[in-house]
Amino acid sequence: MAPKFHIKVFQLTSFIKNLTIVSVFTLSFILVFFSKSDYYVIYGIKNISSSLVVPVTRFISAPIYAFSNLVDEYNQFKSLKFENKILQEEIIRLKKWQTLAIQNSRENNVLKKLLNATDNNLTLIKTASLINRNDTIYSKLINLNAGYEDKIKKNMSAINERGLVGKVIDTTAKNSRVILLTDPNLSISVKSISDGIFSLLTGSGDSKYLVSSFVKDNKMPRLGDIVVTSGTAQIFPVDLLVGKVAKVDKNRFFVLPFVDFENIDYLQIVTSK
Amino acid sequence: MEFSKFLNPSVKLNIILIISFSISVNSFILFPSVNNSFYVLFHLTFIYIIFYYYHYYLFVVALVYGILFDILLLNNIGAHLISFLSLLIFFVLFKKYLIRLSSYQIIFVYFITLVVLLLFEQFLANLIYDYKFNVFLILNFFLISLIIFIPTIFLFTKLDK
Repeated sequence: MAPKFHIKVFQLTSFIKNLTIVSVFTLSFILVFFSKSDYYVIYGIKNISSSLVVPVTRFISAPIYAFSNLVDEYNQFKSLKFENKILQEEIIRLKKWQTLAIQNSRENNVLKKLLNATDNNLTLIKTASLINRNDTIYSKLINLNAGYEDKIKKNMSAINERGLVGKVIDTTAKNSRVILLTDPNLSISVKSISDGIFSLLTGSGDSKYLVSSFVKDNKMPRLGDIVVTSGTAQIFPVDLLVGKVAKVDKNRFFVLPFVDFENIDYLQIVTSK
Repeated sequence: MEFSKFLNPSVKLNIILIISFSISVNSFILFPSVNNSFYVLFHLTFIYIIFYYYHYYLFVVALVYGILFDILLLNNIGAHLISFLSLLIFFVLFKKYLIRLSSYQIIFVYFITLVVLLLFEQFLANLIYDYKFNVFLILNFFLISLIIFIPTIFLFTKLDK
């Protein structure tokens, strides 16, 4: 009886082994195909990865987060005295500006009433905070703690107090993923404020500048010109601040974004009215 | 005693895989090289497990890590999944030749496999999803591979003993 049993076990193991390998390859092929065709199964997998895997990976890498925070706090503490001096000077400067701003605000309100104008062209969907970021290797992605339950949808724009940060590329029930402007695979259509030159900007790969990939009529903007979204591609709302022209070459120009991508804590998800 | 029995080299290497995966998918602004280093370490560990502790369960491991890396780093499934599975197929096909190599030759093959795997992932990301080839990233990976390769081999040899 014993040899027969052994043979059976061997056959079963070999069968399971082959079945596993064939299943893995079939599943991989199906997943790659579904991922290419944006099938809903992929949303399920993404949902699981952001709701289950991300917290686990954060927990495992907690010691490095703690060390990183400690170094950050030490650096902040070191520059405290210097920052204090700068802030005192800034308070004096801002007080002068405040008086001027109040005057301008009053004037602005009167002019708006005269023109029957609305405040802005944006609808705020949700203010969300950052959970974690995956912007070192491959894509420049960040995860937020709000998803389609908060009415966030794909292709909505993400902004902060300084300007455009990126766009939503994926939403799950409670999380959403934003691709940053500095990603080389994201293009935004922009225009310069002074000359109205239309162009397309993409990330340059060094995470610092945005570089023009297309300029309408090959007209280059001036150095220091401010660049805003043009709204022509219907993805980003019009007139969102993007950055300042920092370098102009013969066929392309570089823009320094207003947003400090290394210090993002909260984002506002907005859409056009 | 029982616990140390349970912690055989294969389990230890799998723990290293989990830790390096977790750290590589969480960016640290102050230490961006930490991510890249652990990303390379993950690949080193995975190749080491395949070379020295091959078992068919590794196909499932490759499937899970491939999908997770693709979703968390690229937001599209493909590049890592295909690369990891191709590596396993490569090993199954060339196993009979690899076991004949000397220890120095195997270390050389190990390093070449690592670099080719990292390049292959970039190539696939470019081919399937049109991700731009990032030369800075490739150079960074190569430099990190050069730095951590020997210490990692040393660590793994210690774990084996």
